Amino acid sequence: MKWRRVEPGVHLRRLLAALLILGGSWQVAAGGYIQAKAWLAQYLLQSAWQTTQAGGERIRPWPWADTWPLARLRVPRLAVDQVVLSGASGRTLAFGPGHLPGTALPGQAGNSVISGHRDTHFRFLRDLRPGDRLELTPANGEGLMYAVVSAEVHDQSDLWLLEQGQTLLTLITCYPFDALTPGGPERFVIRAIPVLGGGAIPPAPAATSTGGRRVYL
Amino acid sequence: MARQKTVNHLGRDMWFTSLASLLAGVVTALLLGLLVFIFIPPVAAAESPVEAPSMPLDPDQVRRGSLLLRLASGGVAVDAPLLHTDVQMQVGGMLARVTVRQRFRNPGTEWVEGTYVFPLPEDAAVDRMRLRIGERLIEGEIQEKEAARKTYEAAKRSGRKASLLSQERPNIFTTAVANIAPGETVQVEIEYQQTVAYRQGEFRLRFPLVVAPRYIPGEVVEAAEVTAFQGTGWARDTVAVPDASRITPPVVDPREGPVNPVSIGIRLDAGMPLSRLESVYHPMRIESDAQAIHHLTLQAADVPADRDFELLWVPEPGDAPRAALFNESWQGDEYALLMLMPPALTATAPRVPREVIYVIDTSGSMHGDSIIQARAALQLALQRLDPADRFNVIQFNHRTSALFPRAVAAAPGNLRLARQYVEGLTADGGTEMLPALQLALGQQAEQGVLRQIVFLTDGSVGNEQALFGLIHRQLGDSRLFTVGIGSAPNSFFMTRAAQFGRGTFTYIGKVAEVAEKMAALFARLETPRLTDIEIRWPQDQAVEMWPARIPDLYQGEPVLVALKMAAAKMAGAGLPLELTGDAAGTPWRQQVTLRGGAARAGVHQLWARRKIADLMDRMAQGEAEAGIRQAVLDVALLHRLVSRYTSLVAVDKTPSRPADQGLSSKALPTNLPKGWSATKVFGSLPQTATASQWNLLLGTLLLIGGLLISRWSTLRPGLVPGMDNASARGRRV
Repeated sequence: MKWRRVEPGVHLRRLLAALLILGGSWQVAAGGYIQAKAWLAQYLLQSAWQTTQAGGERIRPWPWADTWPLARLRVPRLAVDQVVLSGASGRTLAFGPGHLPGTALPGQAGNSVISGHRDTHFRFLRDLRPGDRLELTPANGEGLMYAVVSAEVHDQSDLWLLEQGQTLLTLITCYPFDALTPGGPERFVIRAIPVLGGGAIPPAPAATSTGGRRVYL
Repeated sequence: MARQKTVNHLGRDMWFTSLASLLAGVVTALLLGLLVFIFIPPVAAAESPVEAPSMPLDPDQVRRGSLLLRLASGGVAVDAPLLHTDVQMQVGGMLARVTVRQRFRNPGTEWVEGTYVFPLPEDAAVDRMRLRIGERLIEGEIQEKEAARKTYEAAKRSGRKASLLSQERPNIFTTAVANIAPGETVQVEIEYQQTVAYRQGEFRLRFPLVVAPRYIPGEVVEAAEVTAFQGTGWARDTVAVPDASRITPPVVDPREGPVNPVSIGIRLDAGMPLSRLESVYHPMRIESDAQAIHHLTLQAADVPADRDFELLWVPEPGDAPRAALFNESWQGDEYALLMLMPPALTATAPRVPREVIYVIDTSGSMHGDSIIQARAALQLALQRLDPADRFNVIQFNHRTSALFPRAVAAAPGNLRLARQYVEGLTADGGTEMLPALQLALGQQAEQGVLRQIVFLTDGSVGNEQALFGLIHRQLGDSRLFTVGIGSAPNSFFMTRAAQFGRGTFTYIGKVAEVAEKMAALFARLETPRLTDIEIRWPQDQAVEMWPARIPDLYQGEPVLVALKMAAAKMAGAGLPLELTGDAAGTPWRQQVTLRGGAARAGVHQLWARRKIADLMDRMAQGEAEAGIRQAVLDVALLHRLVSRYTSLVAVDKTPSRPADQGLSSKALPTNLPKGWSATKVFGSLPQTATASQWNLLLGTLLLIGGLLISRWSTLRPGLVPGMDNASARGRRV
């Protein structure tokens, strides 16, 4: 009992140390979990993707998933190979890049918009260069080849980026890439146009549908 | 030994001290690096293939000298006509005559057609539209909607100035003005008649100023062809809302600042001394003259059209009206508007156990002030529950979820859960209202339990008719009370839903009102109401009364009916009538004789407006549209009223636009309602970052710090002079 009374400071320090270690482990675990989930999910998704390609519709990669594979995105130069999911909610994006509902489905006329997390799947966006080839394979079709034409930074409210007037592939991720905390207003936007040489070319949009469908929440 | 050990300790301590300093240095460096990292924008960005951010406008749309407005609903508006609205209200007793002057100015260099989608009160009887060109006034003509549109289109093509006023919803109208010359100003004057709502001893006159963005459910209809007169809205027509493109005017980006300034002037002849007169949301100057007539003008010259206007006046306690009668002879018939306040019920009825289902809208349009108001209102409502009551909380956006699978007892534990649940509610996503109402109406209460649904929403949906139909079919013994939240709720939906739900509508426009308005609602929920109200006329008297069935009355609500009779019966001996009803099981009757009354122009139009509203309600009750359409057409054309099937059109005689000049159509942008968030309504590009890197960095730093301190606390004793060995050992234990 005596030592407690004489030196309370030591106890405090131990408590502090324990708290710091505990907090640190928790943070490392939380961060690691996100990264691990992003990495692991793509493996699980590959098998769901194969079933989808074999003619399945809306194959859920795991029974409780609220999303399903829509397409496969490959960047040969950067050795990127990812399964694109349906929907772009936070829950979906944890597992893979997501196709924004309301925009053209991969392979259809119009602007297909895919978004992904800047710190996991879509980190490679910053390494893309104009002219890079992107191969997008829809669930029931041949691979479509796109070429990167621009990389720009826009505000998150610039919804005109989703307009459907042109046949495009738009890849969106958060910007800046190395910001520590999420929630910033800026987005890094890659635009790619269809090119010959990869198989099918998505059809051009009909002349009447220039206005484009608005995405409304 | 002991001594040597101390020496040893000292040696180790020195070693540790230097190591500790080293580590501390490393940590300090890391922390400093982190600070730099946080506060200085990343330089690495310059190396990535980023071009300079491009102008967020379509380049081909930008012309020198054009007036450009970024739109939150997508795209830009180029040279859209500028609008100023002036509202003048003449209020006499319970009736209001309102003139709305819309001044369109063309700022561009080409001839334009402007279309403006705007709100009016849901019970407005719109009977006049005039087009003012300079000093000339062209009177609008009532026509069947399709015929009016053709008249307008023909005038537009031939270069003549024309204006068309059509109704999209009882509270949404569109003005179209064709052939405005560059730099020219053209004015459209709209007039309507309205009754002032009188409840709980208060008169409230509301004037909506903006059509809030509506959620449009359903699959998009791919139009086979684009017709010239399609709507100019940001939404596409869907199966559930076939006119979506006509009720969703473009919304200006809030960063552009508000558009569409409005000036308001009111002449109020209340006819009784007032204890309170207040413009609730817009500060006004009030001047009263010797005849006790109040003149009100806005304190600011103009206000932006971004939230509802409301004028409130309360008579002195002794002067609250018990009855009012307004009449008019028109085309050989006698029309009357009758207000009767039933005697206050002595609330002796035993308290019935209740099952209260709270339904709260957590869609994106509720983000900001609205969800704060809704949460506060709901917390108050939870406090008000009795231990014998049962309750549940349902929230919905594009998904519906309930706190409990079924209603539970209002026990302290359940209430605590509910309070936490309500506190954690956030607003985002779409507004799929049907499933939520289905869930709330789907379960029925046990015998002898009063089932009440309190529905908190801004009503920003486009599929009102489908919802009315659902409420009508599934209501059963439940009662639906709507609570309108936010700066510009859809009053048409809220009042009609409450009427179909045999409840009442409460409007909360700011957080400060929550307590007062909810207290009034609780009073209505907890006191018995008058049901099965009927008016008996003398045998020989043919009276056409609207509404045909008098709705249930809650405390402080008057009977308000519009009447049409063959001849002037109210002169002389007057017209006796008997009012009967049921007050919580006790029959109730009142004898009244209608005599005299105040002669007022426009009573016949109020009667016609009520008849149209009643007819339209039958559509939600399942009647076929064809028959209703004909009945509405007959009334609307005779009384010159704008309705779903009739429009007002005014056409100039001579063409003004030269044949070689083109005409471009522009939709006027509207404001986002005050307190709304554009990104929560129209969405934003997806959130595409996680905190994983931050987690990892912070975690590593914390771990280093923790290890360091734990090492330090073990080596620290030797550093303290004069400390004995025993205590050093004891510490290690």
